[in-house]
Amino acid sequence: MPKSSAQVDSLCRQAQDPAHAAGAAVANPINLTIDDIPVAVPEGSTILQAASVAGLRIPTLCNHPDLRAGGHCRVCVVEIVGQRGLHAACTYPATPGLKVVTSSPSVRKARRHVIDLLLANHYGECNTCSRNRNCELQSLAREYGVDAFRFGQPAAPRHAIDHTSASIVRDMNKCVLCRRCVRTCNELQDVGCLAIEGRGAKSHITTFGDKPLASVVCISCGQCINRCPTGALSEADQTDEIWAMLDDPSKHVVIQTAPSPRAAIGECFGLPPGTALTFEMNTAIKRIGFDAVFDTNFSADLTIIEEGTELLQRLHGALVRQDPEVRLPQLTSCSPGWIKYIEHFYPDQLGLLSSAKSPQQMFGSVIKTYYAEQHGIDAKDIVSVALMPCTAKKFECDRPEMADSGHKDVDFALTARELAKMVREAGIDLPHLPQSDFDDPFETPTGSGVIFGATGGVMEAALRTVIELVTGRKVEDFYENANIVPVRGIEGVRLIELPIPEVGPVPDLLRHLFDDFEWLRGATLRVGVAHGTANARKVMDDIKQGGVFSTCHFIEVMACPGGCLGGGGQPIPTSPEIRAARARAIYGEDASYEVRKSHENPQIARIYQEFLKEGPGGHKAHELLHTTYTPRGKFIS
Amino acid sequence: MLLTEQEKVREFVSRLAKKHDNQRSALIPILRAIQDEYSYVSEFAMQYVGDLLGVHAAQVYSVATFYHFFNTKPKGKFIIRLSRDMSSIMKGAKVIARQLENDLGIKFGETTPDGMFTLGWTSCIGMNYHAPAMLVNNEIYSSLTPQRVHLILEECREGLRSRRPATSRVGSTFTNELTYTEHQDDAGLKKALAMSPSELINEVIASGIRGRGGAGFPTGVKWKLAAEAASDVKYIICNADEGEPGTFKDRIILTQYANLLFEGMTIAAYAVGAREGIVYLRAEYTYIKMLLEEILRGRRTEKQLGSAIFGKEGFDFDIRIHMGAGAYVCGEETALIESLEGHRGEPRNRPPYPVVSGFHGKPTVVNNVETLASVSVILDRGAKWFASIGTERSKGFKLFSVSGDCSRPGVYELPWGTTVNELLDLVGGEDAKAVQVGGYSGALLPASEFNRKLAYEDLGMGGSVIVYGAQRDLLEVAENYLEFFVEESCGQCTPCRDGNVKLLEGVRTLLGGRCSSRHLNELISLSKTIQVASKCGLGQSSPKVLLAVNEHFKDEIMARPIAASH
Repeated sequence: MPKSSAQVDSLCRQAQDPAHAAGAAVANPINLTIDDIPVAVPEGSTILQAASVAGLRIPTLCNHPDLRAGGHCRVCVVEIVGQRGLHAACTYPATPGLKVVTSSPSVRKARRHVIDLLLANHYGECNTCSRNRNCELQSLAREYGVDAFRFGQPAAPRHAIDHTSASIVRDMNKCVLCRRCVRTCNELQDVGCLAIEGRGAKSHITTFGDKPLASVVCISCGQCINRCPTGALSEADQTDEIWAMLDDPSKHVVIQTAPSPRAAIGECFGLPPGTALTFEMNTAIKRIGFDAVFDTNFSADLTIIEEGTELLQRLHGALVRQDPEVRLPQLTSCSPGWIKYIEHFYPDQLGLLSSAKSPQQMFGSVIKTYYAEQHGIDAKDIVSVALMPCTAKKFECDRPEMADSGHKDVDFALTARELAKMVREAGIDLPHLPQSDFDDPFETPTGSGVIFGATGGVMEAALRTVIELVTGRKVEDFYENANIVPVRGIEGVRLIELPIPEVGPVPDLLRHLFDDFEWLRGATLRVGVAHGTANARKVMDDIKQGGVFSTCHFIEVMACPGGCLGGGGQPIPTSPEIRAARARAIYGEDASYEVRKSHENPQIARIYQEFLKEGPGGHKAHELLHTTYTPRGKFIS
Repeated sequence: MLLTEQEKVREFVSRLAKKHDNQRSALIPILRAIQDEYSYVSEFAMQYVGDLLGVHAAQVYSVATFYHFFNTKPKGKFIIRLSRDMSSIMKGAKVIARQLENDLGIKFGETTPDGMFTLGWTSCIGMNYHAPAMLVNNEIYSSLTPQRVHLILEECREGLRSRRPATSRVGSTFTNELTYTEHQDDAGLKKALAMSPSELINEVIASGIRGRGGAGFPTGVKWKLAAEAASDVKYIICNADEGEPGTFKDRIILTQYANLLFEGMTIAAYAVGAREGIVYLRAEYTYIKMLLEEILRGRRTEKQLGSAIFGKEGFDFDIRIHMGAGAYVCGEETALIESLEGHRGEPRNRPPYPVVSGFHGKPTVVNNVETLASVSVILDRGAKWFASIGTERSKGFKLFSVSGDCSRPGVYELPWGTTVNELLDLVGGEDAKAVQVGGYSGALLPASEFNRKLAYEDLGMGGSVIVYGAQRDLLEVAENYLEFFVEESCGQCTPCRDGNVKLLEGVRTLLGGRCSSRHLNELISLSKTIQVASKCGLGQSSPKVLLAVNEHFKDEIMARPIAASH
């Protein structure tokens, strides 16, 4: 097999987070002074970064830690002694001997003017805005003593609000043209849906041909929402619809909760990132009025079984039967943003996708069939809600094919932010609630499901199961505490080789599919991980060109940087540090659980015994738990 | 669109993309070619170009909507663009505008129902000495009168112009003796090739020549920095995006002395070690392109371009023309480079400067047309000769484009250090009330300052001089300037994008006699912020006119009689 580690290295390097390591001891420091404070920073630092090392705060608006500096808004202007005019601290390089002044009459006046001008073009009422008290423009206005609209304010909206997308609402009346969404969409995600139209005062953010969001190549990832400083971008809020369902006594309203929101929702209530509120959240959900709360970990484990089985089947087809129809590498299919991305940009590669539905949708069809049967509830009376870190899940649950239960499998996908809103509205003090367990029959929390939230998590969960099913031994025999550390990490693109140490007898679960695993003896599993669709594109292009990733067997792809914990439905703001803290919470939870492998989840064993009787990959499993994809292409008519 | 039509577009675009090796930097030329063929760039064409060049369709759309000369919707067969520079306005452009509206039965911004004509304003087209002037597609019509408008429209209707290649019928202009006329072809280049690159650079430094585009950066120093930059690939770019309202001296060089320009570019290439030269020619000058291409072909035949120029082994250099698409801001060198790379013409953050990281991230020298032409003369006659002309810090001669209220508008060559009064005597503008020196981004001088010198020590400038006679309303002048800056701001930075709009609104309030002193003070304060906080020279200069009017003509702007039109 061709292998070029240099190629992988270079792909991985390109994909690395550019987060700056200021503050650490540096080899050849650049020495400068900011407000008379001497600072030493590594070469390549900006004045803004140097100021933060010196403990000085320079206000910013168009700057974002995940994005290339723009120098657009001019809020961060500073004086440089001996130079004319003011300079943007976010882009000006720290150079030896520079003397910077961050607060002078001219600087303060300029900042105030910039904020005045932004407000003069910002139409929107703070009190009714979803970003009230979480808005960077509002904060700047407060911090810089804006006490009047010196250059007026718009009397009427200039743009119609775009409600066409199932996931994202665009209200360009609130846009301050910082271009963070454009850089997110084009550089961070490489989707290229958002762009600037026109120039000067007429310039505005829009899509190709100024078309509604639902008609263009938007993948609904919502990363633009997470980086919008104002309320110009937000999720399509469905809380009122859910309240209506909760208030309807004829409805049985259940909710499944994904791993990532629980590691982040505390941020909406002033807690530091990385505070897990899993069981407090269960209490809140019950107090809000949901009839049952389930753990999406159950269907994450189900996904692992189905997707892992599919992988073994594909490997068997390719290695043993040498079936030319079998496509490898198998690509994961749990991220709906990624699904829409590949449907738009690689419609000829849909055969690589696992046919397994995402955990949200698997749970959806299980709830309206198995759960409904068990509890004697008519599926039409069940309202199935999913708490997700994701905006694309709203689009996913609306896909017409997602109705295998005979009803819409999942009725509503709720973001972490929307749930926080409902919690507040119900007058609940989330951080101080007692804890509650998940409800039967999907009550066992598992570590394998939890780590789905982090990049590499699906892969790790799959490997824990595949290794044990194939070798017949404990994964702990090969990896300490079952932590498959090589697949963890933050690099945007990763490629890992895992030799299969030995093979054992085929376990009961898979005996209907395989006679033995001898054909895997001595094999090396090559797996890849990519997060953020810009990185997914690198992997896909590499596969198309027959590069190293085309030799992989299995690749996990997540649309959002950091995986689901960095999802577009998570609390705002986001940054590499915040995502790292959420990841720590998730891996901490994994380590704390007794059951950490999908196939050991007792509810999984039960559902295959009681309901999906033909086993993984069987007829009923296929009917309820697998799906098909739509080649969309990127051309818009 | 019918499938067959789509197939045709597909084939046409594929051919274009292939010709340009599917390079993103060819995006603007490709869009221009599509528009030339189909009269507009359709959504399908944009998507298909994007697909071939590896650019998101939305980005293609973003680029296409940035430039005024691209249409993403069908427009008339004849696109009329009337110049709205002050010289044109003073010579009756508004009367021409009304006649155009009357004759076509449409308003500005509209297209006739038969799809024949689209009517619009455009920024200065470099015909200020024969104002008013307009473009019909790529062709210039100057010294317009209402009667001529009718004849021109009739000619178009008869189809006489539909397929005729554009030619330059731009008329002659007043001028004095130009040093360029005495220059022997390539005399400078031949002497340059006899020197080492570093000797050559030292000669240019010794001449004291500074950039003629307006910023006045020492040319020799720029070349030295680029020569010292470590890179195998370097570029020489000629900034022929002469967009500063009131300037047309580069157009005179391009049409009459292009050989000097190409000679200068070749000298620059030898000095810094570049193999590729690009002339970024503004869209308004499309009619000059064929002429320039012809001269370039001749130079290639004569070994003045190509490999081993004049037999100098290892010195290979060629020049190509790259057309702009209608954006004043692309005269800013980093915006120009962005445009060359196929992006929106938005200025970059600096540093790094282009001499270190320019076109495609390589060391790049961007010089004005006149700078490069003058270098040819300097190399021929010597730095000493050049430095003997002018003043202490402003060496040599300079071309000035003069228009407005004067009897002899035209291009004049003068030594640096000439006073405004002396210039006015020369051009017949003795009765001036004010003079705009250095174009809209320069200085508006009241008569009390006409003894000031045109020189970097005092009034550094690019070359545009607009004379305002006693009867001119300077608040209307300010309104015209600010309309221009609002139109031409790229829109990426807040002070320039939003601030200039506020200044324009303020000037209109003043024109209406409705402005409080408090608000005027706020506008003056905002002007100063726009100057210091904007990203590039456009915003750094745009408020100057309001500041000048406020400082020198305050009694004209306050409590005016209430005008019906405002």
